[in-house]
Amino acid sequence: MADKTFKQEKVGCYLLETNKAQPFEPGKKPELKPEWDKDLCVRCALCYIYCPDAAISRQEDGYFSADADLCKGCGICHRECWFGAISMVKEG
Amino acid sequence: MDKFSLYVGQFLPFHEHFAPKGHRACQGCGVALAVRHVYKALEGLCKNIDAASWQIPWKHSVLAGADKAATIEPALLSMEKKQGMLYICFDNECVSGKIDKDALIKRQPAVALANDFTYIATACPSHPFDLIEKVQRAWNTSGNSYIHILCPCPIGWEFAYENTVRIGRMAVETKLFPLYEIAGGCYHITVEEPQPRPIADYIKKQKRFSHWKASQVEALQNELNDAYNQLKEKAVIAK
Repeated sequence: MADKTFKQEKVGCYLLETNKAQPFEPGKKPELKPEWDKDLCVRCALCYIYCPDAAISRQEDGYFSADADLCKGCGICHRECWFGAISMVKEG
Repeated sequence: MDKFSLYVGQFLPFHEHFAPKGHRACQGCGVALAVRHVYKALEGLCKNIDAASWQIPWKHSVLAGADKAATIEPALLSMEKKQGMLYICFDNECVSGKIDKDALIKRQPAVALANDFTYIATACPSHPFDLIEKVQRAWNTSGNSYIHILCPCPIGWEFAYENTVRIGRMAVETKLFPLYEIAGGCYHITVEEPQPRPIADYIKKQKRFSHWKASQVEALQNELNDAYNQLKEKAVIAK
């Protein structure tokens, strides 16, 4: 991708900064990321139902986790969890 | 059964058909959530098209000015010619620029009833199992069916992303958007709220109502009560 650049030199539509386009990766860098506390989680699957991005999936042990590529960090799972098992953590 | 209602999510299919590689909707999109629930409902009922990213046969159309009940009528009439059709309206109330109380109280189900739809229902993604049951019931009816889904939109309604489900639930709790179904002309209220919240709670949460005056809120509350009482009378007659 790096060697493909777009340059327009005619008067009218100047691109002042070129080489800024990046391939689309949804949720590449969400500000916040959900994390599950396994002591509080009762595996009720409410977070799974309310996720609009279909990012949350069930693990083999029955607990849930979010796919970092799909998650956009909206925080609905954190809001809707009855037991407060999900906390939104800043990705460092 | 109330004891186990929290765990009912365990019985849903965990295979994801809707957008397995992600989509480009905003953070906390209500429409994406509603579409996902519809997918959960239709899983196994219709043929999958594995080549398409949506994996379900669908036809998409944007109804300009769909907030008004009158403008939805020609669309419904054109749909009516095709027999055995499931028509789902994902309503995020963002088509008309100006928000008035006529746009908030939904008349479209009544229009659909006048157009000889056999199964009509309203649903909201904040009540997912209610929505899934209604879509499945609509799919199994022989005639045409119409489902009106209220999808909260964090960008258009101007509230925090994480409150999408909560705002939808509040619309049901304030009886602004009562969840009911009309099967063969008989009304049935599926989610009843014995102690409704005042509509001011719903108005306060969203910045799109920031220009509303107290008199407007009161007028909306009065109209809301009338509309709900009419609905309740129809439901009582059906019983």
